[in-house]
Amino acid sequence: MAGKSGREISAVPASGIKGKLLSWEGALILILIGVNILGVAISPNYNVSNVLREMPRYLAEIFMMFGMGYILVLGDIDISVGALVCLAGTITVLSSNAGAPFGLAVVICLAVGLLGGMLNGFIATRFTELPTMIVTLGTQIIFRGIAEVLFETWGNGGGTASMADTKGLMLLAKKIGPFPIAFFCVIIVGVVMITVLSKTTFGRKLYAIGSNKTAAYYAGVKVEKIRFICYSLLGFLAGVCALFLLTATFGSNTTTGQGFEMEVIAMCVFGGIATTGGKGNLIGGFIAAFIIVCLRIALGQRNINTQIILVIIGLMLIISVLVPSISSAITARKKKAQT
Amino acid sequence: MKKKSIGQFLSGSREASLVIVLVVLLIVVGVINPSFLSFTNIRQIFLNNTLTFIMALGMLCVMLTAGIDISITSTLAFAGMSIGMLQKYDVIHNTFLLFVIGALIGIVCGFLNGIIIAKGNVAPIICTMGFMYIWRGMAYVISNNNWASGMDVAGFSDFGKDGAPGPYIILIVAYVVFFVVMKWTRFGRRIYAVGSNTEAARVSGINVDRTLTSVYTIMGFLAGLSGVLSVSIYASAQPNMQYGKEMDVIAACVIGGVSMNGGRGSVAGTFLGALIIGIISKALPMVNIPNFWQNLIKGVIILAVVILNVVTQRTMDRQNLLRREM
Repeated sequence: MAGKSGREISAVPASGIKGKLLSWEGALILILIGVNILGVAISPNYNVSNVLREMPRYLAEIFMMFGMGYILVLGDIDISVGALVCLAGTITVLSSNAGAPFGLAVVICLAVGLLGGMLNGFIATRFTELPTMIVTLGTQIIFRGIAEVLFETWGNGGGTASMADTKGLMLLAKKIGPFPIAFFCVIIVGVVMITVLSKTTFGRKLYAIGSNKTAAYYAGVKVEKIRFICYSLLGFLAGVCALFLLTATFGSNTTTGQGFEMEVIAMCVFGGIATTGGKGNLIGGFIAAFIIVCLRIALGQRNINTQIILVIIGLMLIISVLVPSISSAITARKKKAQT
Repeated sequence: MKKKSIGQFLSGSREASLVIVLVVLLIVVGVINPSFLSFTNIRQIFLNNTLTFIMALGMLCVMLTAGIDISITSTLAFAGMSIGMLQKYDVIHNTFLLFVIGALIGIVCGFLNGIIIAKGNVAPIICTMGFMYIWRGMAYVISNNNWASGMDVAGFSDFGKDGAPGPYIILIVAYVVFFVVMKWTRFGRRIYAVGSNTEAARVSGINVDRTLTSVYTIMGFLAGLSGVLSVSIYASAQPNMQYGKEMDVIAACVIGGVSMNGGRGSVAGTFLGALIIGIISKALPMVNIPNFWQNLIKGVIILAVVILNVVTQRTMDRQNLLRREM
């Protein structure tokens, strides 16, 4: 029964939540199929091989989606990852141009991502009073600021740099059969991240922290340590994203990765993860990511004003978050009618 | 009783410490480059940051209710693009009418945000993120990827060109109105009440949903207004205008001492926060620091300010505890 304040006091049975989640993922799969049918219908070039060929440049973001899912389950948010992708990519390109071998450049790229994430985690866990949005807003501006300074002081200026030696990147952009390497990496990272979140104690602790941080702390969960790990992980994945983005763009500029953070959060939310924490899982986010990727490719092939995709993503986002409250409103009305 | 020490006074009043930061900043920059303190220069700081100044007011209201609105620059682009297109295709050239249309578009956008957040119980960041995509996309769609050039908006841009009084008047009026409303009217105090403790506000008879909706509507109105102003000041309308600048607005509020958890913040603080951000971006080139250092320094200052705030708060709490022990 709803209390005076309109807050639902009675607990929802577990099977109900599970059923709802399952049905949400089912709906997402249906949407994914629908998007693919739409693609085939509007574009004669929309087929498996073409989609796979265009995919790598969109795949990079999905890596970060998994890390962001962890952060959102914790009830935190990280809006600095787009800028971190820019910073990692920039340093990689500049160090490679300065003579670093490809292997070293890859290590640098991942290390920069990891360090950036650790910085976020350090500030967020040391100053727990600060909302993580503020912390990552600050680091977002700093990361992109560092990249801008590097372009001018280390690169050739002009806010852009392209990789001179692309041999190594070409190797990463290769395909195994029809599938690009990035595709396999996304699947592997995805399976690991999904399993860790849903099957291990570490993953369950994330839900505990997201549902009630204080309760989790008193239950013996090392809250701040786990938060630090999650931020570092997301930072590392931002490095991975930067690396695979380079295999598609072969360069970096000051606007690289702009808006990625919001797109990644949108994928998670569309996939059913609540930003208030403790709810949702990564499978939904994974499917949602592919929905957005396929939609992008389909609309891009058709040469439709590509910006209309922004409207579609926005509408999907709002509808998907409205569904739970609409359905609960309907059940509340039904209950009222019964009494 | 002991008199308050200077340190306690400063940490107690956010505005006082901001004023000191501002004065120090002005003195340092003024000594290195005296022309920084010239009237023209200071006027330009306000003109260049009019949009941040105005939208920071709306963001203050939104953040007071523990919300956030990241759709503002998209609303700005949509409103700005709409009036840009109206002029490009010679539909309307009346400045006043264009302002009304832009503001109305903003109000509609903001109202949609508010109604979904209040009635649909959606997290503000998610709802406004959705509209961030929608309005930005709409700005591209209605303009069909074109943009309105200085020629298209020729007569209209006189309103906001360097030296014209229009933007300053709007700025002053907006700040005076908000200062009065937030401090002395029932509506303003309701916003604080909702932000401090939503449940308590609801129990004491405040219509929380209506307050939330009106707060986001105000934000939308200011964003729409800024869209029109932006077209006027920069004499062009592009679909990607002010992309990502919502973070500047949020940063201005945060520096100005507005709490993200709601209920804490003031118009004066917001003004000072926006002014500090404006001064940093204007002052760097004048003290021989190249412009590309701007973002890095801005980011460091934002983080430093918020962390310093936490640290002073902690020491204050500890001192209070110690005093109680005795």
